[in-house]
Amino acid sequence: MCEEVQRKLQSELDSFKNTQKELQKIVLTRQQLDGQLNENEIVKVELDSLATDAKVFKSVGPVLIKTELAEAKQNVTKRMDYISKEIKRIDDQIAVLEKKQDNHRESLQKLQHQFQQAQVKAAMQA
Amino acid sequence: MAQISSVAQPHMQQIDLTTLNIQQLSTLKSQLDNELNLFQESLSSLKIAQTKFQNSGETLGQINSESEGKEILVPLTGSMYVPGKLYDTNNVLIDIGTRYYVEKDLDAAKDYFKRKTQFLTEQMEKVQVLGFEKSKIRDAIVEIIELKLQQQKSS
Repeated sequence: MCEEVQRKLQSELDSFKNTQKELQKIVLTRQQLDGQLNENEIVKVELDSLATDAKVFKSVGPVLIKTELAEAKQNVTKRMDYISKEIKRIDDQIAVLEKKQDNHRESLQKLQHQFQQAQVKAAMQA
Repeated sequence: MAQISSVAQPHMQQIDLTTLNIQQLSTLKSQLDNELNLFQESLSSLKIAQTKFQNSGETLGQINSESEGKEILVPLTGSMYVPGKLYDTNNVLIDIGTRYYVEKDLDAAKDYFKRKTQFLTEQMEKVQVLGFEKSKIRDAIVEIIELKLQQQKSS
């Protein structure tokens, strides 16, 4: 009885830790996306403040290529849309993982309780 | 994500710190320690970014329309330079982020760096205010933990 509970406890603990790792990884991704969105927003503000005949360049590898301002604006807006969508997707994943983690934590507590009881029982029998 | 604040906010639950046990308090404390570390890191990276903008702004001050045609050494690698001549000194190219560059005249460029420096100053102030608030909460938690420990000892 005691061993069985211990085994369950161990496997539950493992999956809890796995979920925790997954969550950490995904939160990091979310932070990176947030940073990218911020950077794009700042660029958008800067582009919006420019005169229509302003010269805009885009760096592609080691060279600068001249771009139309309208095209640059469109590009940045498109990228912001994409990043926002990604953030939404990641947020959903985070919510799912957090729930999973809570479930694991709960069952862990239950198992710990069971384990303690089993130990007490074993001690009484001995 | 969970937030800790000493100011009451509508979506937050108010918790009396003295009702928590020592374990809960220390979890809270380590959470706050993490956040404070993060703030410290953010502050120093903001400071670095600000210095870069300030340097660029100061460098601009040395360029004017009289600089045209003057000789400079252009770095090809970290240790190799080729001579060059300054051309079109009334306009400069500025990296505005996400690989976009914009041509600006000297005044607009100076204004750009001034704005960026100011923006960063504002952000740093915000982080400082937040950090100050959090460290106050952290101090309060440490105090309560010590109180509880003493109570445990004497009982």
